[in-house]
Amino acid sequence: MKDKYIFRTGVLLIFLFMFTSLFLGMDTCLAQEMGEAEILEDSLAQPPAPPTNVVAKDAPNDNGHALLVTWTLSADDGVGRNNVVSYQILRSDSPEGEFEVRGLVPAGENIFSDEGAKEKEDANYFPPHKDFYYKVRARSDGIFSDSEVSAPAQAYGQWYHTGKTPVLFAVIIFSTFALVFITVARKGKELYIRPLAGIEAVDEAIGRATEMGKPILYILGLGSADMIATIASFTILSRVSKKTAEYQTPILIPCCDPIVMAVAQETVRAAYLEAGRPDDYKQENIYYLTSMQFAYVAGVNGIMIREKPATNFYLGKFYAESLLLAETGSLAGSIQISGTDEIAQIPFFVAATDYTLIGEELYAASAYLGREPVLLGTLKGQDWAKALVMIFLILGALAATFHFQWFLNLLKVQL
Amino acid sequence: MRRTLPIAVVAGVGLFMLVQYFIPLEEFETLYEWALDWTMVIGCFAMLLGLYSLTTMMVTKVKRKAPGWGYSLVALAGLFFMVFVGVVPHYQDSLKYGTLFMDIFEYIYIPIQAAMFSLLAFYIASAAYRAFRARTVLATILLVSAIIIMLRLVPLGPLSGINQWLVNFILTVPNMAAKRAFWLGVGLGATATALKIMLGIERGYMGRD
Amino acid sequence: MSTNLGVWIAAFLTLGIMSFLYKDNPIYKFCEAVFVGVSAGYWFVTEYFTVFLPKVWDNVETAINVLQAEGRMDWFHWSYLLGGILGVLMLLRLVPKIGWISRWPLAVIVGTTSGLWLINYLVSNAMVQVRQTIIPLYVAGNLNASIGNIIIVVGTFCGLIYFFFSKEHKGVFGGAAKVGIWFIMITFGASFGYTVMSRMSLLIARMDFLVGTWLGLLK
Repeated sequence: MKDKYIFRTGVLLIFLFMFTSLFLGMDTCLAQEMGEAEILEDSLAQPPAPPTNVVAKDAPNDNGHALLVTWTLSADDGVGRNNVVSYQILRSDSPEGEFEVRGLVPAGENIFSDEGAKEKEDANYFPPHKDFYYKVRARSDGIFSDSEVSAPAQAYGQWYHTGKTPVLFAVIIFSTFALVFITVARKGKELYIRPLAGIEAVDEAIGRATEMGKPILYILGLGSADMIATIASFTILSRVSKKTAEYQTPILIPCCDPIVMAVAQETVRAAYLEAGRPDDYKQENIYYLTSMQFAYVAGVNGIMIREKPATNFYLGKFYAESLLLAETGSLAGSIQISGTDEIAQIPFFVAATDYTLIGEELYAASAYLGREPVLLGTLKGQDWAKALVMIFLILGALAATFHFQWFLNLLKVQL
Repeated sequence: MRRTLPIAVVAGVGLFMLVQYFIPLEEFETLYEWALDWTMVIGCFAMLLGLYSLTTMMVTKVKRKAPGWGYSLVALAGLFFMVFVGVVPHYQDSLKYGTLFMDIFEYIYIPIQAAMFSLLAFYIASAAYRAFRARTVLATILLVSAIIIMLRLVPLGPLSGINQWLVNFILTVPNMAAKRAFWLGVGLGATATALKIMLGIERGYMGRD
Repeated sequence: MSTNLGVWIAAFLTLGIMSFLYKDNPIYKFCEAVFVGVSAGYWFVTEYFTVFLPKVWDNVETAINVLQAEGRMDWFHWSYLLGGILGVLMLLRLVPKIGWISRWPLAVIVGTTSGLWLINYLVSNAMVQVRQTIIPLYVAGNLNASIGNIIIVVGTFCGLIYFFFSKEHKGVFGGAAKVGIWFIMITFGASFGYTVMSRMSLLIARMDFLVGTWLGLLK
């Protein structure tokens, strides 16, 4: 009983304390507010000083449908009466005409990009090569003051995006490396490249299929013909199918994309022609299955289980289905060579297939298989570009340690 | 000529796409959008090629009474029924929920897709077992790293703090380093491949006469 | 138990696909055939409504309407007819004698891709990655960040050495390449570990459908 009374008294005291402090606080706040209200009332009566030096000019590095407006901040922005809340940017096509609001920026900012659509049918169409006049309005809770009207400005497109100059240099440097080494290779100089386990296994894998009298299954991935990994896979397919033509081993290529199927048919047919076996080419072995990811996998799994290919190649763009394919192939007892540039799928290929071409190795594979001088030359150029990147990386990191930002600024690209 | 001219078109279009990146003018933007749209349109027409290939393959199997020809009939029936209910009755409305087309998608396609996806749970276990049996240094590193990450959601008592620190360290430091090297390599490799195609060095995809 | 026919069909197909785990069987083959056929049909119809109709049909229709109403050539909308013509040229593959014409639309696709990706890969994979790896090796007052940054730079450098094709992996170079592949294996392990949980959740979702939605045993 005693405990109950102590508890109830305690609760009552807590409530009393809360209410008292609330009222006291209110009085304090009220007093503060009344004081502030007097000051505020004082400021509210007067509009802020207008912004000055409003300049409108063509927005750089664009398609000609934007103007950049800058101004000097109001004298009451952060100083003086300190009553600027925001700036409104207004535009008209004549200095005396009606001005429309084009945008709003908070206090403290003195730049605005007036952008519009390029389509004439669009409600926000921004016509190029037309004079526009701007004024900037400093606003403060219902009252405002306007700047002088700016001089006219016209928007026009640029022929060259200066912010992308680092990219231009990168393209020139890379292309130069590639072309120099292609020239060197064409002159007959021997170019060394280190052995790759996955590539060396290709011959063995094709030989195995020939001995067992089983077909080879070649999966070009789930990418479309416009993906670089798929194109890299075509270049490897060309070499692999030339070998299968020589060994007279059937090659099955179920495709996920009709254009990929068309290119694969052309590639394999050309390879069989080159190997001197045009009659052995069977177009019905290269067919379209479906474009949907898991339906394609279901179909390919069925082929693997029923046709039991001796060798599976998975080279191209793969996603979540990579493990389904690789595991089913493994269960079917095939030797498997895989390669993709999707980093998320490589662990599964590494775990489930016999040989894996990791990332860049997929792109280098055509040079390894063909051993043509121009391809080896391009690979060398690639390596030299990589060496340049490595040097840049080390020097850049050292420079950044001493707060020297030159390397970072060199790589800054405006999109 | 039948091969040389298209390769020249590849070089020309490729060079245009490269150059337009540096030119912000509206006209170049429009041409760029046209090129991308035409690629999509060609892909759309190529669908007919794909359907022809699939149909021919299955009809051939049925005609020859090859093993499993009955299943080819089932696939053909599914294909043509979907095309029929999609294109014929509901002009432009087939893709809305409530139509027979979308009902088939919802009760047939989606469950099978989900079931296929769920098979990965079993396959990932068997792949992990086989990979970690390899007993090489590299397989061990892969295994240890995988286990640390897998345990991040498991309450480990006093070890939870250490594990979380390890997870955070692995993801922000060595993982980031290796990914950067990987992406750099892929970037340079893909650039080289694209350059080879534009210069006509790689031309196997054009076939031969 | 569910009384919805669609749920029963979905449950039958789910179990049919999962029977593949035991071995290949007629029910799995039936489900696979249905899957392939239905998906190909679905893709065709989707392409028809989302690509052909808006990009070709509607644009050409607009161009014709403008010509009839205003008597002028709307080149922007007429350009999509050229895309349609290229698409038709692609179909000429089916005629062996003039199949070589299909190389032209192929050339447009491959050319567009190569130019586009050359820039995209060089910028986003090469330049951006290099820029993000240019980090200070020493951060004043933060030993953890300093060690982390050093490891990142060293790891990236060694990883690039691993992908170097012009020199054999021997001696000091080989040692650096080995360090590089260790870093890469750590990444692969992390990727593997991350994915295991998400794959398990997919299986749980299917079990939930079978036991909960179909059989109604879960409340």
